[in-house]
Amino acid sequence: MRRPLALKIGISGVRGVVGQALTPQLISSFAAAFGSHIGRGRVLVGTDSRPSRDMVRHATISGLLSVGCQPVDLGILPVPALQLHIRTTGAFGGVCVTASHNPIEWNALKFFGADGILLRPAQAEELTDLYHQGVFPRIAGPDIPEVLFDDTAIELHLQAILASVDVDLIRSRRLHVAVDCCNGAASRATPQFLERLGCRVTAIHTDPDQPFPHNPEPIPANLGDLCRAVRESGAHVGFAQDADADRVAVVNERGEPIGEEAGLALAVLRRLEVEPSPVVVNMSTSRMVDDVAVRHGCTVHRAKVGEVNVVEKMLAVGAPIGGEGNGGVISLRTNACRDSFVGMAILLEALAARGGAFSSFREEVPTYSFLKEKITFPAREVATALRRFRERNAGHQMDLSDGVKVTWPDRWVQARSSNTEPIIRVLAEAPTDAEARRLVDEAFAALSG
Amino acid sequence: MRQLKIGTSWVRGVIGDAFTPELAIQFACAFGTYCDGGSVVLGRDTRRSSPMLHAAVQSALISTGCRVIDLGVCTTPLVSHAVRRHGAAGGISITGSHNDAEWNALKFLGPTGSLLNAANSEELLDIYHASAYGFSGWDGLQRTILDSGAVSSYVDDMVRDLDAASIIAKGYRVAVDFSNGASHGVCSLFLQRLGCELVPLNERPARRFSHAPAPQVENMRQLEAVLPYVKADVGAAINVDGDRAGFVTHDGRALSEEVALPLVVDHVLARRPGLVVTNLSTSQMVDAVAARHGSTVLRAEVGEGYVMDRAALEGAVVCGEGCGGVALTPQSATFDALQTLGQVLEAMALSGATLADLTAGLPVFAMRKGELACSPDRVYRVIEAVREEFDDAVVNEADGVRLAWPDQWLHVRASNTEPIVRIIAEAPDQTALDALFSRADTAARRGASGFGRSDHNPAGSATRSGKP
Repeated sequence: MRRPLALKIGISGVRGVVGQALTPQLISSFAAAFGSHIGRGRVLVGTDSRPSRDMVRHATISGLLSVGCQPVDLGILPVPALQLHIRTTGAFGGVCVTASHNPIEWNALKFFGADGILLRPAQAEELTDLYHQGVFPRIAGPDIPEVLFDDTAIELHLQAILASVDVDLIRSRRLHVAVDCCNGAASRATPQFLERLGCRVTAIHTDPDQPFPHNPEPIPANLGDLCRAVRESGAHVGFAQDADADRVAVVNERGEPIGEEAGLALAVLRRLEVEPSPVVVNMSTSRMVDDVAVRHGCTVHRAKVGEVNVVEKMLAVGAPIGGEGNGGVISLRTNACRDSFVGMAILLEALAARGGAFSSFREEVPTYSFLKEKITFPAREVATALRRFRERNAGHQMDLSDGVKVTWPDRWVQARSSNTEPIIRVLAEAPTDAEARRLVDEAFAALSG
Repeated sequence: MRQLKIGTSWVRGVIGDAFTPELAIQFACAFGTYCDGGSVVLGRDTRRSSPMLHAAVQSALISTGCRVIDLGVCTTPLVSHAVRRHGAAGGISITGSHNDAEWNALKFLGPTGSLLNAANSEELLDIYHASAYGFSGWDGLQRTILDSGAVSSYVDDMVRDLDAASIIAKGYRVAVDFSNGASHGVCSLFLQRLGCELVPLNERPARRFSHAPAPQVENMRQLEAVLPYVKADVGAAINVDGDRAGFVTHDGRALSEEVALPLVVDHVLARRPGLVVTNLSTSQMVDAVAARHGSTVLRAEVGEGYVMDRAALEGAVVCGEGCGGVALTPQSATFDALQTLGQVLEAMALSGATLADLTAGLPVFAMRKGELACSPDRVYRVIEAVREEFDDAVVNEADGVRLAWPDQWLHVRASNTEPIVRIIAEAPDQTALDALFSRADTAARRGASGFGRSDHNPAGSATRSGKP
């Protein structure tokens, strides 16, 4: 089998391994293509805290300038703050230098339009076409705009979040919160944010100049430091953010992860109990959300995996709340993207409203056994593998809108190609661990032929 | 035609379709690979396109594991000085130098602070052509260092090398035309330390330059007009990246760009005898001045890289070119306009003479610089035709052909930057010059007109060197 490529160009942007496929030249050309797509106006540029951030940021700025865009350098900041700032300042678009939850050797460009939303699939396709054509409308030397700097985005973002929850209620509870910022983009903003919610804060890994202390994906396997911090500090709850702070994972007061999918379900629960509304989640999100919605007489719509797909569907069906099961909470009224600050604020509000322990709040939604596994596949073999999986499950209820999802009355299994890495993800949810395990094992067997 | 030119120690082009950030990145990746992950000093001029190239180059250097020492807006001599001070592996100065505002360039400096010589440039180009870049993994990437002490350290070294007390005692007023370039800040400090009052012209960056940024007579009209009114003792025009200087006398007369070198050579040799290096196209004023001090002049191919390289090799005390670029060696590793200005001020202070007096002491020749449009495939034929026309001269073929007689010379060479052949001639007087030039010009046109299109441009700038 050929070695998996260290580069991925897809609807989420362009992503690659530093020192291999992700070269300054590729980045500069992609930025020039984006500038050609978005037009000659202001483009916000921000980064997460990866050591390769300056290399990628400078190349991005050079490409934008070459086609006459005016880059506004926001420095290191959470990606939701950048997305909000695009709308606040009326910029033409934005570029975030972040590989999100990917390991530290990766970096990437995420592209946003004037609405602060990731490029739609059709726009992303136009962008890659422009990139492949390789001929950009360059501007003459004397007409090149000046680079601007703006350090107000983080503060404006925090103010927007604080305006969206009952701050007095949260403050009144004097909650003790532990947080693991993974030395990521939110390292400075999060402790400040929690303090403004009246919380006592135990913060770990808050130095963006240090490498990630652990893999930045906020999944239970990477929450060891946070669990320890919660136990040792006696915090009421613990939060872990990924490198660009769009996703958040939660640990209860006993220092136990509450499960990757439960955070979104609990946030949706809080929003629906205040104001019932339609909900949008992706195809791979746990059925916990359905249980919560049923309780409040609300409908759940399912979108393809990917933030932009969920946001699009939320706009289409008029759902103010939604997200992705892997810890990405979206509240459209605050920010048209996954936002870990939104997630934390809603969960703290819920906890404050209840007055009990987080573990009791967690019990308000049922527990399923949920497995998320992945298997590495070269891009050219993905389609064949998925076809084998589909054929193996012929006759069952099936949804082909994003990979292959097979559903039974009390369980489901899905195999889909990742948007961001050369892998196939296999997800299964079932009443028991053994049943979920069997679904995954069977899927792996089918995919591998 | 895409306007791009890759030469010894630099790549230059018109920003836009020809000179893109991607191209700058490729060259900087090659340079970073050439420097093998060492420290690289980075500076840029004030052109609107320079921040774009600065970002591109910085990204590329970081990607190849180099530690960038960033000076921001600064002159090429400052980059050179910082390379030596930090013991860096090299430096890149982003500057279109004397070119128009549409142009820009990367100048590559080696660990000695000099522009890469021909052999080093070849190695750099090999890496570029093979795209054999040594990218670093994420854990080998270095954070950029901002060097805020570069300017004061550079000025300290330059002032230490001058008889500052004598200059300070005179309290000169100096008008400087900065050509909207990078020298204003460092020049202000330098003149302040020399007790001079600065009258600045065109000191701010501009989208389009107020005049072409080469320190030639036709670009010093503003200084000429202003000088008598501001009652300055001397006027200086400095190009955008601060490596070339031209001068204007207190009564408002701009001097030929050929004058700076012999002025400084005369002053330096009086106190420090030694060898002088210049190029094949520079006025023989230098030879006459050196002869007064019993010194010898060696001539290298045209281009700062060649001249500095030869000066270092031969242990010269001063070197330079007729374009106004001068360097004291080994103190400087690049041509340096401020150092040149410092030498002129020191010469004035020690002799008590005005610049006009000093210039009056230089020998006088008549010089003419012309050019002939010529496609690259005809260059050799043009040069051959001129060589065959004259059979009584001493022939030097290091760079085109240079024909020398005891009292006059003629140099025909392909331009480094444009599809033209340059014809430069110098003779004792105008009559002799006209005879020599027109004979060479006729021969050159004969060579160019064999077949293909060629246009003669008679509008070569006629300059009278020495006392204008």
